[in-house]
Amino acid sequence: MDKKSEKNILEVQEVSKRFKDTLVLNGLSFCVQGGETFGLLGPNGAGKTTTMRMIMNILRPDSGEIYFNGTPRNRLEGVHFGYLPEERGLYPRARVLDVLVYFGTLNNMPRRKAEVEAIRYLDRLGIIEYTDAHINELSKGIQQKIQFIAAFLHDPEVLILDEPFSGLDPINQTILMEILEEYKKKDKILIISTHMMDQAEKICDHICLINQAQVVIDGAVDSIRKKFREDAYFIEFDGDYSALSSMEDIQILEEGKHSYKFVLKKGRLSLADLLKKVEEKARIRRFEVFEPSLHDIFIRLIQQQAEEKA
Amino acid sequence: MKNLFRVARWEFVTRIKSRSFLFNTFVSPFLFAAVITLPLFVFNMQPQISTKLIGIIDLSGLHIKEELQRELNRSYRLGNRSSEYMVMNVAVGNSPVYKRMATKYQEIRSRLDSINNVYNQIKEQRMQYYKNRHIPNRDYVLRSSYEKLQNTRDEKELTQIELVRFKTALDSVYKREAQKMADSLLYTDVLNAYLVFQPDFAKTGVVEFHTKNPGDLREVDRFEKILQTIIIKKRILDDQIPRSKIQKWFRPIRIKRYQLLPQGDQEWNFYVQFYGPLIGVFLLFMAIFTAGGYVFSSVLLEKSNRVIEVLLSYVNSSQLMGGKILGLGFLGLVQILSWILITVLMLAAGLLPADKIAYLNLQNALYFIIYFSLGFLFYGSIFVTIGSVSASEYDAQQINQLLRTIAIFPVLLSLLVLANPNAPLIRFLSYIPFLTPSFMIMRIPLSSVPITFDIYATMTLMVVSIAVMIWISGRIFRMSTLMIGKKPTPQEIWSWIKVK
Repeated sequence: MDKKSEKNILEVQEVSKRFKDTLVLNGLSFCVQGGETFGLLGPNGAGKTTTMRMIMNILRPDSGEIYFNGTPRNRLEGVHFGYLPEERGLYPRARVLDVLVYFGTLNNMPRRKAEVEAIRYLDRLGIIEYTDAHINELSKGIQQKIQFIAAFLHDPEVLILDEPFSGLDPINQTILMEILEEYKKKDKILIISTHMMDQAEKICDHICLINQAQVVIDGAVDSIRKKFREDAYFIEFDGDYSALSSMEDIQILEEGKHSYKFVLKKGRLSLADLLKKVEEKARIRRFEVFEPSLHDIFIRLIQQQAEEKA
Repeated sequence: MKNLFRVARWEFVTRIKSRSFLFNTFVSPFLFAAVITLPLFVFNMQPQISTKLIGIIDLSGLHIKEELQRELNRSYRLGNRSSEYMVMNVAVGNSPVYKRMATKYQEIRSRLDSINNVYNQIKEQRMQYYKNRHIPNRDYVLRSSYEKLQNTRDEKELTQIELVRFKTALDSVYKREAQKMADSLLYTDVLNAYLVFQPDFAKTGVVEFHTKNPGDLREVDRFEKILQTIIIKKRILDDQIPRSKIQKWFRPIRIKRYQLLPQGDQEWNFYVQFYGPLIGVFLLFMAIFTAGGYVFSSVLLEKSNRVIEVLLSYVNSSQLMGGKILGLGFLGLVQILSWILITVLMLAAGLLPADKIAYLNLQNALYFIIYFSLGFLFYGSIFVTIGSVSASEYDAQQINQLLRTIAIFPVLLSLLVLANPNAPLIRFLSYIPFLTPSFMIMRIPLSSVPITFDIYATMTLMVVSIAVMIWISGRIFRMSTLMIGKKPTPQEIWSWIKVK
């Protein structure tokens, strides 16, 4: 295994899956490297969960193959993988520690080690006092944290989290991010699926947007954003300045209460002139070059695709 | 493979501590045993408490009452040696309708008597006239007395007819009134039952037996037996055979039942023989359905809260399924072993008469465990499948109900098994995998000849059917566990089984 020294790598190659008459995935390919946070994005029904289930070997692709460090997925044991499914659930009558130890041992952890690790993580997430509680006595947030622990207790090489932040308060989101950051530093593979684009923007290094069974865009977040930059500006005033919208030299893209997003019409007016012109009439509170958010890119691409289809 | 045992361990450990398991193991068998043996106790205790009063409406004129009482006294006695049955004629003397009729009947009867007297007087007088030839106007006197005689005879005949007719009417009134009386006595529980003998009883042999609970076969059986003897005696007496001879002929027999067993003959007791294996089957049934219920509720739970996704990402579906069946099977085994232990403790404490119950031995306990394990594996794989294809608890319950009905079916035939444990029908039914464990558990202790062939053959059959069943359910389980909220159609299930 000379790959050991190299980075971990997970490859999804030309994977297709059909459920009855619907083609859920059509020749899907992407590649995830260790040490990066990979975001699997897409609208509902795009095939995200199916993709993750195939990486977890719960489903088998109809064609194509998934490789981890060059080995086909179905020849690998589940131990290398950790999974947090979107729909959360645990054994309601069982005790917290018992459940964690059970999941740990299913991944070949010795009981003793599973116990120690579980307690360590419970402490880290601030829920050590619930170690012996029954799961149905706990709040949803705490149950979710326990399920996190269950997913990475055995320190997997590949960790797949489906909508990890939904339902968590900001403090716990931060704690979780810290843990994920730490995990990433070990050059392991982290795959996150989410609808929440602002979240994905914050934590992902690499995203893959899928829609209607196909990859729409795949690449590093920064390069994608650079690609979709549109020379737009964002301006916000103290008070009202509606005259801006009637100016002929600019084209308003979006209008807020005291803010506008706009582009300059070609060859009419320089940015400096415009600002001078505006400053005479109103006080600018904020002015910036507009960076498209993943949210915008996401919507634009999907609309584009829909139009192409039509 | 290790994960199979880990799943098994988890299922076992989480259930064994549960309250429902403890209840099903240590409380409900006793409740159950109490429920089925309680009526038995009441049944046996009742006659000890009081003598039963039996009413008689006897229209036959054979004076059955005394005879019946004598026979009953001879055959059935209570613990304190007093008679178990007391026979009494139902009296109707106080009924106004009957009283009126009876008075009138007496009137007619006395009238007939007086007519008879007159008739006899005339006849005597005429005799005098014949003998004495010196009577003046003898011809005339003879002629007129003859007319008188004829008139009286007519009247006598008419009255006789009237009397017979009246007697019939009186009898039917008597029967009606007596029955009315007897019914009210029966209703107020003064009488336990009453018998009606029609006038032609000796000829037809028809007896009416009136009671609140005609289902009491034992009582009916006793009366039938005794009355049979009585009527035959009467008929023989009518044929002029000396009473002493009849008594000798009718000396009753008593059957003591022995069963031939490998360890020697053993006195046969219906209740022990019947209820023992029946309780065994019920326990088996309970163990399988307790653990089986856990199997599918566990699958349903994991399916509905999606733990199944996490589990399936760590272990494959056959390990998960096998682990569940194994773990909960061990649970059932623990249950059965605790019952065997309880039985052993009861034997040791002398609560159960060990010497009277031959089938309580090590070998049968072993068979019990083997058939339980086979039955459990068979039903367990079915339960897993049901759990995995059911969209909700409700669906699963319905199928479960059906399975219960099938599995309990042998109990309905338990009387047939008791009558002949090796009858062709029973043997045939023991070869249906759904029924095999229950039937074999009843047959093994009840059969007087060793049924080694059937034991090995059914065990082999069970092993084969379990393999087939697990193979099928494995395929269904794998596909259906990931479906949520939707019940697969039979076509879909079939295609999962077929798929390579």
